[in-house]
Amino acid sequence: MFGLYLHIPFCEKKCSYCDFYSLESTEHIDAFVNTLLTEIDLRSPVMPSGACPAEGRVEAHTSVFFGGGTPSLLSPEAMSRIITRLHERYTIAPDAEWTMECNPGTVTPERLAAYRTAGINRLSFGVQSFTASELTFLDRIHDADEAVAAMTMAREAGFDNVNMDLMFAVPGQTMETLSYNLSRMLQLAPDHISAYSLIYEHGTPLFARLKKGLITPTSEDIDAAMYALVITTLTDAGYEQYEVSNFARPGKQCKHNLTYWHGENYIALGPSAHGFIDTTRYWNHRSLTAWTTKVNAGELPEANRETLTNEELCTEYLFLTLRADGTPIAEFEQRFGVDLRSALQPDLGHWIDAGFVIDNGTTLRLTGEGYRVCDEITVKSIQFVDRVPSSLRSSG
Amino acid sequence: MDVIPSFRHSVIPSFRHFVTSSFPYSVTCGLMQHYRNFCIIAHIDHGKSTLADRLLERTGRVTAREMTMNQILDDNPLEQERGITIKLHAIQMDYLSPSGEKYKLNLIDTPGHVDFSYEVSRSLSACEGALLVVDATQGVEAQTISNLFMALEQGLEIIPVINKIDLPSAVTTIDNVKKQVMDLIGCKEEEMILASAKAGIGIDEILEAVVARIPPPKGDPKAPLRALIYDSIFDAYRGVVVNVRVFDGTLKEKDKILFMNTNQTYELDEVGVLYMQRQRTGILEAGNVGYFTAAIRRLQDSKVGDTVTLANNPTDRPIEGFREVKPMVFSGIYPAESDDFEDLREALGKLTLNDSAISFEPESSTALGFGFRCGFLGLLHMEIVQERLEREFNQVIITTVPNVRYKVITTKNEVMWVDNPAQLPNPTMINEIQEPYIRAQIIAPSEYVGTIMKLCMERRGTMLGQTYLSADRVDMTFNMPLGEVVFDFYDKLKSSTRGYASLDYEYSDYERGELVLMDILLNGEPVDALSSIVHRQKAHEWGKKLCVKLKELIPRQMFEVAIQASIGSKVVARESISAIRKNVIAKCYGGDISRKRKLLEKQKEGKKRMKQVGRVEIPQEAFHAVLSLD
Repeated sequence: MFGLYLHIPFCEKKCSYCDFYSLESTEHIDAFVNTLLTEIDLRSPVMPSGACPAEGRVEAHTSVFFGGGTPSLLSPEAMSRIITRLHERYTIAPDAEWTMECNPGTVTPERLAAYRTAGINRLSFGVQSFTASELTFLDRIHDADEAVAAMTMAREAGFDNVNMDLMFAVPGQTMETLSYNLSRMLQLAPDHISAYSLIYEHGTPLFARLKKGLITPTSEDIDAAMYALVITTLTDAGYEQYEVSNFARPGKQCKHNLTYWHGENYIALGPSAHGFIDTTRYWNHRSLTAWTTKVNAGELPEANRETLTNEELCTEYLFLTLRADGTPIAEFEQRFGVDLRSALQPDLGHWIDAGFVIDNGTTLRLTGEGYRVCDEITVKSIQFVDRVPSSLRSSG
Repeated sequence: MDVIPSFRHSVIPSFRHFVTSSFPYSVTCGLMQHYRNFCIIAHIDHGKSTLADRLLERTGRVTAREMTMNQILDDNPLEQERGITIKLHAIQMDYLSPSGEKYKLNLIDTPGHVDFSYEVSRSLSACEGALLVVDATQGVEAQTISNLFMALEQGLEIIPVINKIDLPSAVTTIDNVKKQVMDLIGCKEEEMILASAKAGIGIDEILEAVVARIPPPKGDPKAPLRALIYDSIFDAYRGVVVNVRVFDGTLKEKDKILFMNTNQTYELDEVGVLYMQRQRTGILEAGNVGYFTAAIRRLQDSKVGDTVTLANNPTDRPIEGFREVKPMVFSGIYPAESDDFEDLREALGKLTLNDSAISFEPESSTALGFGFRCGFLGLLHMEIVQERLEREFNQVIITTVPNVRYKVITTKNEVMWVDNPAQLPNPTMINEIQEPYIRAQIIAPSEYVGTIMKLCMERRGTMLGQTYLSADRVDMTFNMPLGEVVFDFYDKLKSSTRGYASLDYEYSDYERGELVLMDILLNGEPVDALSSIVHRQKAHEWGKKLCVKLKELIPRQMFEVAIQASIGSKVVARESISAIRKNVIAKCYGGDISRKRKLLEKQKEGKKRMKQVGRVEIPQEAFHAVLSLD
């Protein structure tokens, strides 16, 4: 797998909980598109930029993801220009997954059809809730009816792969409203559901309100109960949980996100975007201005990059695969020269006995109960990294 | 050492005529009548180190510039932080009296804590006199008294010094303090020197009193060598440097010497006196204080209190008062990471090179893996060793709750010494358990008598007597089990008397006690490192408190944790820690991975310091839980 991520940093209105880089003014969106086209050139393996970690790579990209921000603020024409340029500069697999994040309040049947024609084949709607008070709390610009309408439009426009985001542990939310939100969402039969427990991200307006004591966060017990409700409801409805917060109908897992979680490579473009090639992670300047200035000067707009040590690679691989669809034992041994089963004893035995982890013969995978305490298991698991000096540290 | 001369002149011109920095050292001028050997007896913070610094400055041994690095004698950073002397120091000063006589003054420093009272007694033995320094605002403290009595027993001339007279509050307290001191040593008011080491008041009087009132040493330079070891330190290059006071005879380089108690012989390499640095003189004669080296590899060969004599002409009168120093308090010291066991062994080995009072033996614990059972002179000594291991040897260690050494009489009438509670034999094999007792002396303002009595009774103490030092100051003596004192007794005493009480103690004897072993079980598994030996009547309350404390200290885990305290198979207290309900960050995409990894790695470092018993992770503080019980 080989991903390609493009960050579109514009929103009609910023949501109080969101910490992604985004601007509320779309004033510079046209200029942004031109600059993005230049960055596509700069990072292209077929262009002689000389500084891109992906240089010379001819492997085909298996996924392209437009994230934000609100990529659906881009006109279909702009989207088409970007897609065309990507095809010119990169090798993209014919069956690649092309995802675009959309705000249910900013789509029309015409626009969706045009995106589909341009090449987008997967949509991700930030639905979050079907309860008005919760949508208001989250500063969402759409209402429940618009979410329903957006789904209908998407299907009519020919999208057979649609994700919906759902949020739980929202202050004021009850088990009843969450249950209602889940059933409303299931009625729309999305192919994929991302269900997140609300995070109070540092630096967001929501975080500031929390610190001022204006918000009572959901208790750990209720958060846990809500999470359990989400998992059972979605699993019972035929969705498979393949990551802490992600559920998919068979065959509809998000290829792009699996790229992150399987420790595979991805190129990233646009302000604040993070790319990862082999052992190097780079991240672009966060501000639109800094990013634009660099790109227009013909330089890579990177704020910084880090080369991971073998220990860090091992830690990342383990924690990412554990939180997703499990750590493949053979692959782990091949990558790091470590037999995971013995490295994790005696804890692994305790976790299996307690029903947190399943060893299906090839993979160590968290259960629904295990995902609930995923970070506990992870911190314990990565401890062995310091204890296996020989194989792990020499293989790098 | 070099200073800008004009600087020194400008700072201390008024006593320039006393300063004899150009006084050339020569052993031939060292007539015994011109030696004075003395020490300073004082409570912590009463100004001993400042006074010592001032004397050194006034005799030109240190310069004003060096004085800016305060408190020359306490050169170990730990000593400076805690404001106490741990290792002994001595320094020789050249003093030109206004009478025109030149003297050599040997100031022998003494450790400032009850754990080291044997060392204090040995350094007092090396002196003919002592400055008794009492803070004009604080008065006499327990430790001062016990050291003073030790000095009086050894016939030392005492020069009382009331220090810090320049403090504003001294105006109201000084008369009372003077009276305490006069009552204590039966001196006249005019015999007390009023001083402020900090402000340089009374320093000249003190120096004059030292030469006028402290008798010169007596001894026969021609007699067989008799020298007292009052301290020895390990030097990586020269081996053990032995600090001695020569009573009779003469120490000369190349002499073959004998340590009378350890029966070891060595040939002297280097002999000298102690200035700011060691100064080689080749010879050290009766009455003087100095050092020698003899390629001694083991500190244990040169024990404090031992007599050094000549191998081919030994004295028949070894110096009295030698005893083997025995550890009184024990604790397990384990490496935080089991791989570091050998490193820890090496560190402990190096520590014993310059602190022979530590004992250590390998032991193992199911909870903590392989480590050492270490013995210490007392609680302070234990803390110092633990801190030195961490600071000087970079060891990350876990320490268990300290305990005393129990004497167990088995049903077969055999005696067993147990210094690790987990090794107490099965109760059916025990006839009786005895524990060490101390005689504790506590001095405090009389308003705290009730509080102190209550505290000591709670700790199974019995009062042996009380005397009023003045109308509002009382001196109380208790017989108490040492085992009760090692659990934060001193802190409790201090906090319940607002810091006014002072404590000193000496070991008395072993007494029979109704003692039982209390185990702690986590999820049904006993944690040997948390076992303790407690008094039967206090076991229930103790167990309850300990369980509550452990509940507070052990973080919630993925599983529920049951904490139980048991005596034999009987559970006397229980608590439980509920399981973590949810701990997972919902979101982790491309931009989150680096940050998330760093967060997890940080949490991993925190967990590293935890020990696992069965499924339960125990933080290090938990192994100390008993120490912080209310």
